[in-house]
Amino acid sequence: VSQHALLLRRRDLLAAGAGASLLPSLATAAPSPIDVRITDAAGKPISGAVVFLDSPQAREQVRPLAGIEVAQAERRFVRPVSVVTVGTAVTFPNLDTVRHHVYSFSPIKRFEIKLYVGTPAEPVVFEQPGIAVLGCNIHDQMAAWIVVVATPWFGRSDDAGRWTAADVPPGRYTLRAWHAGMAVGAAPIEQALTVEAAGARAVVTMPSLKS
Amino acid sequence: MIKLLAGWRLSTRMVVPSLLLLLALQVIGLAVIRGGVDANARKQLAERLAVSERIWTRLLEQRAVKLGQGAALLAADYGLRSAVGSGDEETIHSALDNHGARIDAGLTALLDTQFAVRTVAHGDEPSLRAATSVLGTLAPQLAKQGSAVAMVGDRPYQFVMVPVRAPLLIGWVAMGFDLGRGPIDDLHAVSGLHGVLVALANDAPARVLQTSLAAPLAADVLARAQNAPPALAKDGDAALAETSLGGAPYLLRSVAVSQNAQGHVQLLLAGSIDEAVSPYRALQWTLALLTLLGVALFGIGSAWTAGHVTRPLRALVQASMRLGRGEYDAPIAHTAERGEVGDLARAFDHMRLNIATQQQEIRQLAYWDRLTGLPNRVQFRDAVLAAVQAGESANLAVIMLDLDRFKHVNDVLGYASGDRLLQGVAERLRSVVRDGDTIARLSGDEFALLLPQADAALARDVAVRITAAFERPLQLDDHTIDLSAGLGIALWPAHGPDGDTLLSRAEVAMYAAKRRTAGAQMYDASLDSASAQNLSLLTELRTAVEENQLRLFLQPKVDVASGALCGAEALVRWQHPTRGLVPPMEFIPFAEQTGFIRQLTLWMFAEVARRQSALAAMGVARVAINLSTRDLLDTELPDKLDALLLRHGATASRLCLEITESAIMDDPERAEATLQRLAERGFKLSIDDFGTGYSSLAYLKRLPVHELKIDKSFVMAMERDASDAKIVRSTIDLAHALGLTVVAEGVENASILTQLQTLGCDDAQGYHFAKPLAFDAFGAWVAKHAERHAVTA
Repeated sequence: VSQHALLLRRRDLLAAGAGASLLPSLATAAPSPIDVRITDAAGKPISGAVVFLDSPQAREQVRPLAGIEVAQAERRFVRPVSVVTVGTAVTFPNLDTVRHHVYSFSPIKRFEIKLYVGTPAEPVVFEQPGIAVLGCNIHDQMAAWIVVVATPWFGRSDDAGRWTAADVPPGRYTLRAWHAGMAVGAAPIEQALTVEAAGARAVVTMPSLKS
Repeated sequence: MIKLLAGWRLSTRMVVPSLLLLLALQVIGLAVIRGGVDANARKQLAERLAVSERIWTRLLEQRAVKLGQGAALLAADYGLRSAVGSGDEETIHSALDNHGARIDAGLTALLDTQFAVRTVAHGDEPSLRAATSVLGTLAPQLAKQGSAVAMVGDRPYQFVMVPVRAPLLIGWVAMGFDLGRGPIDDLHAVSGLHGVLVALANDAPARVLQTSLAAPLAADVLARAQNAPPALAKDGDAALAETSLGGAPYLLRSVAVSQNAQGHVQLLLAGSIDEAVSPYRALQWTLALLTLLGVALFGIGSAWTAGHVTRPLRALVQASMRLGRGEYDAPIAHTAERGEVGDLARAFDHMRLNIATQQQEIRQLAYWDRLTGLPNRVQFRDAVLAAVQAGESANLAVIMLDLDRFKHVNDVLGYASGDRLLQGVAERLRSVVRDGDTIARLSGDEFALLLPQADAALARDVAVRITAAFERPLQLDDHTIDLSAGLGIALWPAHGPDGDTLLSRAEVAMYAAKRRTAGAQMYDASLDSASAQNLSLLTELRTAVEENQLRLFLQPKVDVASGALCGAEALVRWQHPTRGLVPPMEFIPFAEQTGFIRQLTLWMFAEVARRQSALAAMGVARVAINLSTRDLLDTELPDKLDALLLRHGATASRLCLEITESAIMDDPERAEATLQRLAERGFKLSIDDFGTGYSSLAYLKRLPVHELKIDKSFVMAMERDASDAKIVRSTIDLAHALGLTVVAEGVENASILTQLQTLGCDDAQGYHFAKPLAFDAFGAWVAKHAERHAVTA
């Protein structure tokens, strides 16, 4: 378990670092610090929520991520929730000895990788923003989400329910937040957010989640 | 109860109450058992119904699981999921149709995650529409429970619903199966109880959907479910109710199978109470039979015991009845037994012996004379009656005898001597009778003999022998006592037709004999005042008084010394209109017996008083009148005489009243009192027939008498017998010594008169002077005597 946890952390850092490394070169104005807090109705912080800021500028600045894997091990998806930018090609390596049959009936990306072992030859490219739900036709209990965003400013709430970003240019954004515990098929929660030069603060209240 | 039983036999009183108590106990016991059995059977039935409900639930669950597996298979189908995920309705419908047919589902439907029906397959159009409606409302419940029953159209369906995941929930597959008869039949097969599935729709009549019961009974159940819906239709709950199905009692348990806005589906579980109770009924019958048998045995046993106790009592009752009848000979039974009955029997036997002894003593007292050892009057009478009744002999005789002077012996020598005298008499009587004759002592000095087979001659012979046996005097210590008695003889059948008459006639004869001092006297009707002849004589005597047929005759008394007339004795004669002059002997004794003598005395007294002055004129200084025993006992006599004296103006001192010695001795005290009263009136009193009785001079001395009249038997015998002359002489001397005058009767000739003169007798009377004369003749005689006397003088 600790090994997977470490692995997850590493990949998170990697994804975040990838985003961050791109931003300075694109920014025209001085980036402003963003501080978003995700809580439930009772004000309790929610961790692991996917948070992203959409805007036409952001849409323009987004670039595909590289090297994203949604691996399967121990008959589970190793990362239940993955956040990728549009155009990212995702590979589905099978770390188990049994075969898996990964599929998605989600409208943003329908696909199935029939009964394979190891890493399939072709990665799956997610062209449209949205949320794809992945399952395995052989193992019903396996489920994973791939959140496809069209913005370079995204992240996840930490244990304190906070997501911070330092380099978001001021402007008008749509702040969206989604969590795997939300109802099946539910769209991300969105609210407008204007980023001033001094940055912005926001609190997103989520509906009650499934545990 | 005890009061009720009071009149019953002891054995009944012992047996019946305990039998009734036992019976009551048994009946109560049976009733309690029956109640317990009923309650228990109902409880068991209720439990079976509850179990049946669980079986039903289980059956439905099992079915649901099976059906759910089919539905799950469909929900997991990749094609379906793919179609659902991509919204390919046509593919979805055909997949549902295909899978529904595969597992024989009545209908198959796909619902979205919000339970909205997306597609319904495998069913005709109306049911599809109905199913859409039903599923719309049923889905949330199905999502929670997995399965449920609901009406679709007019049929009950069991629905199952499973989620469709890809891999997250993308919808629901629901399948409905017609419930059919399966569960109800399975339920009946497993539990033995019946189920009736009924639909109670709001907008349609209630009806039976499925049942394992016969149709009429199911209809009853339906009616019951309709009529009592509150008890049966409690939400999700089961209710028990007892009802009658086709006339038999059933216990119903209601199970809510489904419930929604359109109506209810209920399962009514029915169990027959009769069937539940029947195994116990046989047991109860056996118990009742045992009870009856027990009561019968107890009854027989206690009746036997009671009989054992009461049998000796009944024997004692019989014994006491025998004692009551006077049978004392048979000993009482059961005296050897121990306990109370034995005690009672012994007490009874003791009583029997005592009573027998006492009876013997009483009999002895009642029938025997203790002094002489002879039978008493009662026994003698019985013997006579028995002899007459039996008629054993052609004739028999009764001799009755009464001792003379017995009272005198008692008075003078004492009762002890009297008793010995009686014993002596008994002894003498025994010596003269034949075997078979009966001797009895009737009373004080009265004895009697019964001589069977005796005629007049034999009876006379016995009487003579008795007289002979009495001739020898009886020696009592220093005293020699002469025995004599009056004997009366009566013969049967000559003198009386029956025993009592015979006895009374013997008595009459006996008294006659005593009067005449005649020894033995055979009965004769003339003796008997009660005889027809004597009754007519009495009537005639009354007539004689009323019609003046009586005549006063006078016999002169002459002074012995001077020869002058000194008085007269008044005598009565009867001038009978047809019989002529009746002699006194023919009616005076009879008048004495009947008491009529008192009228005669008063008539005589009145007649004398009437003529007193005339007689005085003739020179008759005093007239003597005879008083009888009965006169003397009449306490009113002095007053009656007073009245007559007053009426006729007569003087008492010119009258002399003659009383016989025996009259005085009959009741000396009363006689003395009467004499005293007469003497006070101035009457001169004279003792008649002196010498024949037993009165002592010492006694006479106490009486207020003035004169002794020596009996004519002595006077007439004076001439021939020197001893009689001595008696006369001593009598005269003694009388004079006592200051009494002496009259001699029976002076028949001059020689006697001369002797009397010598002896110093005061007065004399007799045929030598004159016989009794009628008044006129007496007057003539007086005149003639006066002349003669005057000449002599």
